[in-house]
Amino acid sequence: MTITVNGQKRDVQSSADTPLLYVLRNELDVMSPQFGCGLAQCGACSVLVDGKEVRSCVTPVSSATGKEVTTIEGLPARWAKQKGLSGADAEKTLHPVQQAWIEEQTPLCGYCQSGMMIKATELLEKTAKPSDSEIKAAFTTSGPSAHLCRCGSYYAIVEAVRLASTIMAGGAK
Amino acid sequence: MKNSVETTNILGAQLSRRGFVKAGGALFVGFTLLDSKNAQGAVAKNSLDPSQFQSWVEIHADNTVILHTGKCDFGQSSLYTAYRQIIADELEIPFESITAVIGGDTDRTPDGGGTFDLLGRGVMPLRKAAAYTREAMLELAAQRFGVAKDKLTIKAGVISGGGKTVTYGELVKDQNLKLSIPVAGDLTTMFGLTVEGDPPLKPVSKYEVIGKSYRNSVIPAKVTAKEKWVTDVKLSGMWHARIVHPATLGSKLITAGQVDKTKFPNAQVVVKGNLLGVVAPTEWEAIQASRQVAAATKWSEWKGLPGQPNLFRYFRQDADWKSTSVSRSQKSGGDAASAVASAKKKHSATYEMPFMKHAPIGPTMALADYKADGTVTVHTHNQNPQALRGQLALMLGVPVDQVIVRLYSGPGHYGRSNGGNAGAEDEAVLLSKELGRPVRVQWMRGEDFQWSTQSPAGYSDVQIGLDANNKISAYTIDHYMPAMQDDRPVGAILAGLPTMPAPTPGGQRLANTVNGNSDPWVYDGVLNLEERAHGTYEVGQRESPLGVGLRDHSMRTPGQFQQNFPREVALSEAAALAGADPIQFRLDHTKDERLTNILQRLRAESGWQTRSAPNPKASTTGNAPVRGQGVSVMFRSGSYWACAAQIAVTPASGAIAVEKITMVVDPGVVVNPLQLKRQVEGGSMMGTSIALYEQVEFDESGVTTKDWRSYPILKMADMPEIKVVIVNRPEVGVYGQGSEAANALAAPAIAAAFFDATGKPARNLPLRPDYVKTLLKA
Ligand code: FES
Ligand code: FES
Repeated sequence: MTITVNGQKRDVQSSADTPLLYVLRNELDVMSPQFGCGLAQCGACSVLVDGKEVRSCVTPVSSATGKEVTTIEGLPARWAKQKGLSGADAEKTLHPVQQAWIEEQTPLCGYCQSGMMIKATELLEKTAKPSDSEIKAAFTTSGPSAHLCRCGSYYAIVEAVRLASTIMAGGAK
Repeated sequence: MKNSVETTNILGAQLSRRGFVKAGGALFVGFTLLDSKNAQGAVAKNSLDPSQFQSWVEIHADNTVILHTGKCDFGQSSLYTAYRQIIADELEIPFESITAVIGGDTDRTPDGGGTFDLLGRGVMPLRKAAAYTREAMLELAAQRFGVAKDKLTIKAGVISGGGKTVTYGELVKDQNLKLSIPVAGDLTTMFGLTVEGDPPLKPVSKYEVIGKSYRNSVIPAKVTAKEKWVTDVKLSGMWHARIVHPATLGSKLITAGQVDKTKFPNAQVVVKGNLLGVVAPTEWEAIQASRQVAAATKWSEWKGLPGQPNLFRYFRQDADWKSTSVSRSQKSGGDAASAVASAKKKHSATYEMPFMKHAPIGPTMALADYKADGTVTVHTHNQNPQALRGQLALMLGVPVDQVIVRLYSGPGHYGRSNGGNAGAEDEAVLLSKELGRPVRVQWMRGEDFQWSTQSPAGYSDVQIGLDANNKISAYTIDHYMPAMQDDRPVGAILAGLPTMPAPTPGGQRLANTVNGNSDPWVYDGVLNLEERAHGTYEVGQRESPLGVGLRDHSMRTPGQFQQNFPREVALSEAAALAGADPIQFRLDHTKDERLTNILQRLRAESGWQTRSAPNPKASTTGNAPVRGQGVSVMFRSGSYWACAAQIAVTPASGAIAVEKITMVVDPGVVVNPLQLKRQVEGGSMMGTSIALYEQVEFDESGVTTKDWRSYPILKMADMPEIKVVIVNRPEVGVYGQGSEAANALAAPAIAAAFFDATGKPARNLPLRPDYVKTLLKA
C-alpha cells in the first residue's frame, strides 16, 4: 500500500486494517497525532484526509490510500503551498495556526493540541472569519465527537483561532 | 593540571577548585549530605556522587546556565517560566541566560520530590542552591579583584568592584569548580531532598525578572511536532504490550486465555500472579491479541463494593469511621455545640461529593528496558520520578540505584502520579524483565478509567447557628472521606510483589486513613467553630481479595475540594437564612485584609448584584431560563481566591448553562501574569466540568465508567465566559501559588448560583439534569 503523508508518498507494510494512527506513529515516524481514546471520542489523534478532519484511531490505513494525509508536521508546507511561498520563505514560515498557538500560549499539557490545531486548520480553510459560535461549534459538534481538552484550554483555543484567522487574512500577529 | 584542591567556606557551602581544565570550564553545583539519619538513608539508597551530574545549577564559560530539578512539567509551565524567572533573579542573570531546564530524570537531577507546591516547597531547593551559587560567584570575583565581597555589585551576570568587571562565564572559564551545599531528606520519598542553611535570598523589592509575562519555552516544540513526548520514545527491539486486567476489582486469575496463533502469530501471553500481559512486536497485533485473550480468560467473581447508588448510605451505615483518629482543625475553638443549640436560626444540611477521575486525556504509558545485569530504565511521564524509582526498586527487591527513570512530556495527570505512579510503569518493568527486551505498555481508554486511582468521594454534615443580629454564632462541620492517597503500584499488587502498605488507621505517613483538615478557616469573625475530619479505609480495600478497592489519589486540591465545597455552599445558604448578600455576609465575618480586598474586587469586577438570595425572579418551572449568581472563596498555599459564577437554569429540562466565571486571585508575588492567567482559565474549565458532569459510576464489582461518554467532561460549546483578575501583592513576600485551586472554586459558586436562580439548595454533585429536575420538584 502507498499513502501520501504531508506531501510525500510512503510505502506501508502494516496490514490493511491497522488504524492509520499506528501506521503514522509506529511505521512512518509521524508522531504528532496522539492516542487518547481509540474510540473517536476525543480528537487527540485527528489528521486531515483530503482537507477533512478524521480520527486516525478508528480509520483503517487502507481507507487513506490514494488520499492526502496532513498532520501538524505538514502544516507549514501546506500553508506555503497555499500562499505560493518560495523555498526560503517557506522554510521559515509556520502555519498561521501554529503561529497563533504560540503567540496565545495556548497549550497547557498540550497532549490534545495536535488534534485541536488540525481542527482549527480544517475550520479556517472553509471559513476564513469564523464567529465565536462557529468556532465553538467546530470543536464541539462538527466531527465524530467534541474535541476534548482536560486541561481546559478552550478559551485560549478560541483566542488562538481568532488570531490565526487574522494572520491568514494578512493581518499582523 | 594541578591536583591540589582549594576550598572556601560560603555560608556553610563548600566551594572547591580542583585545578584547571584545558577548555571550557564550568561551575557545577552539587551537594554534600548533612549527617542526619534521613540523609544517610538517601546516600545508602542512591550512592550519589555530588561531583558528577547531580548538579542543580551549571554555569558555563559562555555565560549560559542550565538548571536541574527533580520536578516535572505537566502543563503548569512553571519549570519553563516561573522556575527560570525565580532562579534568574536569585542568580542575578538575565532570563535568557538559562538555556535549558532539565526536569525529572532521576540520573540527571538532584532533588526529587513530587510535582506539587511548585513555587513553594518545590522550587526552594533550587532557589537556595542558586543563592549559594551567587554567593560563590561573588567570592570568586572578590578573590580575583582583591576586593572585599561586600564591595561588589552584580547586574545581569556581570560582577563589578574596584573598577573592574568580570562575567560569570569568565570566572568559571578554564576552572574546575565545585560547590557543595548542605542537603537533607530522603530522595525517593514523596518529598525528596531539601537544601539546608540560609543563604541570603534576594528581596522582593529587587526583583527584575519575576513579575513579567515570559513565554513558555516548550510551547513552540509542542506546536511544531518537535517535542519528544513519552508516547514517541522507541527503543530497538521494543515490543508493545496491553494488560488484560482482572474482571473485577477483586477477581483472581483462574485460567489465562491462549493466543490464537492463526490470527496473531507473534503475540505472547505473560502471566505473573494475577497480572496478565499480552505482548507483540506491533501495537495493533498486541491490541487485537489482548482482546482475543481477554475473552478467553477466566477470572473468579467478586462483589464487594456498595455500588454508586448506595454509596452515601454505605458511608453512613457501614463504613468504619471509628478506627481512625479524628482531626480537629487548628482554628476550631469556643463552644460550637451549645452555641448552635441556642441559636436563633439554624441551618443544618449534608453535602455529598462523588468519586471523580483525574481523567488525563491520554491513558498512562511507560516503556521499560530491563537489562540482563539487573538494571532497568523506565521512560515515562510521572509527577514524582524519584518516588517511582523507590517503588520499582521495592517491587524488584533491588537497590534503588539499579533503577533509572527518564521523564518526557505527556498528558496532564492533575495529581494522580505525584506519589510516584500513574499505572503502567511497574507493569512495563515486569513484562520487560520476563521478556528480556524493552516493552512499551499503554493502557486503553477503558482501563485508564477502571484501573487508575480516583479522587475520593466524601460528605460533610454542617450546622450553622445565627444570632439575633443574623451573624454566625456557631459553625460545626464534620467531613467524612476515605483515605486519599494510595501510592501502591497496581501491577505490583496484581503480580503479588512487594509494595508500600495500603492505607490503614495507624499506618505510616501517606499510607494511613487519617483525613486532615486541609483548608485553613478564613472567617475569623466566627467565634465558635468546630471543624472535624473523619477518615476510613478505601471503599472495597479490605473486602477485595486483591486488596484493590476504589483506590484514591490526590487530585488538584486534594481533600480541600471535598471540604471547601460543603463549607462554602453552606455559608451561602446561611447568608440566605440571614437575608444577607452572600459577598457582604462573608465580609462581615472576616477581618482578614487580603480576603476582604479580593471579595471587594470580585463584587466590582463580576457584575455582582448586591442582594440576598434567592433571586426575586427565581422559579422552579418553565422553559424560560432563570438566572442566579453565587460566590465561593478559598485560601490555599499562600494564595487567596474568590470566584463568582453566573448561571442560567432551564427548569423544564434541568439544564444548567454556566454563563460567566469571574476569578480573583491574590497569590502574593505574581511571578508570571500571563501563565497564571492561562492556568486559572484552565482550572475554571475543569471546575465547571466537575460541577456539572463528573461522577465515577461503579457497581458491586468495579468501576463501570469506561469512556468519555460514561465520563462526560466540559466541551468547548459549553464553556463559560471567563474573567481572571490577578492581584499583585509583592509586600506579602511569598509566591503564593496553587493555580490548581482555580479548579475547586467553580463548583461551590455554581451550586450557590443554582440556589439563587431557583430557591432550591443544591448540595450534591454533579448538577446533571436528572438531579436538577429532582431538586426542582422537591
Ligand atoms: S484517540 Fe482518536 S478520537 Fe480519541
Ligand atoms: S492541553 Fe492538556 S489536555 Fe488539552
